[in-house]
Amino acid sequence: MGVFVVILGIYLLVTAFLGYLGYKHTKSSKDYMVAGGNIHPYVMGMAYGATFISTSAIIGFGGVAGFYGMSMLWLTFANIFVGIFIAFVFFGKKTRELGQKYGAFTFPHLLGAHYQSSFIRSWSAALMSIVLPLYAAAVMIGGARFLEQSLKMNYSTALWVLSLIVLAYVFFGGLRGVVYTDAFQGTLMFVMMLIIIIFTYAKLGGITVAHAKLAAMNNLVPAAFLKQGMTGFASMPVFLSQNWYLVISTLVLGVGIGVLAQPQLIVRYLTVKSGKELNRALIFGGVFILFMTGVAFTVGALSNVFFYETSKKIALTASIVGSAGPNTDLVIPMFLTQALPSWLYYFLLLGLLAAAMSTMSGQFHFISTSLSYDLLGKTSKDDSTKTLWLARLGLLVGFAATVLVAYRLPGNIIALATSIFFGLCAASFLPMYAGALWWPRSSKVAAILSMLVGSLLYLFMCLFVYTKDSSIFGLAKAIVGRASLAGSGSFSYMDPLLFALPTSIIVFIVVTLLSKPLNVQQKKQPLTTDI
Amino acid sequence: MLGLTDPGVIAAYLLSIGSALLCVVYGLINWNNE
Repeated sequence: MGVFVVILGIYLLVTAFLGYLGYKHTKSSKDYMVAGGNIHPYVMGMAYGATFISTSAIIGFGGVAGFYGMSMLWLTFANIFVGIFIAFVFFGKKTRELGQKYGAFTFPHLLGAHYQSSFIRSWSAALMSIVLPLYAAAVMIGGARFLEQSLKMNYSTALWVLSLIVLAYVFFGGLRGVVYTDAFQGTLMFVMMLIIIIFTYAKLGGITVAHAKLAAMNNLVPAAFLKQGMTGFASMPVFLSQNWYLVISTLVLGVGIGVLAQPQLIVRYLTVKSGKELNRALIFGGVFILFMTGVAFTVGALSNVFFYETSKKIALTASIVGSAGPNTDLVIPMFLTQALPSWLYYFLLLGLLAAAMSTMSGQFHFISTSLSYDLLGKTSKDDSTKTLWLARLGLLVGFAATVLVAYRLPGNIIALATSIFFGLCAASFLPMYAGALWWPRSSKVAAILSMLVGSLLYLFMCLFVYTKDSSIFGLAKAIVGRASLAGSGSFSYMDPLLFALPTSIIVFIVVTLLSKPLNVQQKKQPLTTDI
Repeated sequence: MLGLTDPGVIAAYLLSIGSALLCVVYGLINWNNE
């Protein structure tokens, strides 16, 4: 524990120092929002990657791979191809141009300015700020689960400790030099994952041997999973089975596509000087993500081999503690603390802290600017004092909401909570965001309707139809007496995104074709237009 | 391949590595392009 405190102190000092360096370059509240414009491609690539990947991906989704196997690698492909390549080359460059055209520093401002609607700006800022603590809580739980396992700490205590670290981090300026600190944390994460994959393969007899051992464990797949369509730990589930829908529709599609409409990532495109920087950042971003989720999902699946060789269990049965049921959130923390040498714990702890902090700072930064800039300060005027106070208030509100949500959430939650936020962003904002970038004809009324239909349909399905989500909130159970309006029919295990995103796209296209196109002569002006 | 036999998983494995390489190659080729 003493070593932990010393390492934590050094970590906070380094991030505070980097924060101070960033702060010195922060001259106005615009700089606070986008952190200046001159950034090295390594810093840009790593900062984007570190904000994208958190303990949610490593511990939450890695744990899901422990239960469901290597089919999760399709998410790694989506993370890199969609989340980095498509995002940088197609979305990033156009977004940067649009951001400069309107002088927009945030995603809600960009959408509101393009469609000349302050309603779009307010609704998007409010909706994302209200649901984002769910994702931030998932990140926090991921960190707390590793603290719990590595330092043999009570889970509630671990959550408290992590909350205090987050508060200290934010207080010492973690949001100030956010780009530099994130690149530093991304580097820590990269080294951590490199160590984890080397130790894992070495422990299990090498790459080919480890994979072959996992493929030979098909007879150990739990009967309930076999019934849902799972075929093995190193094979794909039966096409269109319940297990296939969970892995492909909720996890791969939800997060794979949802990444394109993440407000804390989109703000990164607004920070680069030209499209050239995005091309260069690609070199670092793609490899970084391969080592993040590629390693996490492979190690998660291979943990089954380790647990079986050491205790005749699989990841699912190994994650049962006391009277609690199996918990995906415990698989990676248990594997790391049991399979890797104990002298590595502290470095792993540092790497996972970096993973959590770099993402949470982006999340809190978004909530903070939503409140101070998009919801309450809707002018481009640089009223620094008021903006700064509102930004601090937004920060505290976001932090308090996240801690509260983290305490209320059950086990097996990290990946699900994350996919809800990603899916909701995709269903609500992706059609009109893509329209703003590539379809000059797209209309304001189409954007508003598509956003409302997408977000409301997603929330309805999430709360009342999709059993995995609705059972978290308990609203359907309280109102209609069962977890899903669809009973146990196929709608009860098909992700809300499968319904909400296509509907939102259709509404956007049809209404655009039926309505008046946007005025293409939009001028660079403060946003005062109402609905 | 590498101890894996399921074509779906092998495809995901190769596509993941291929996408990361695509990012590197695209970035290097377009180092000075907008």
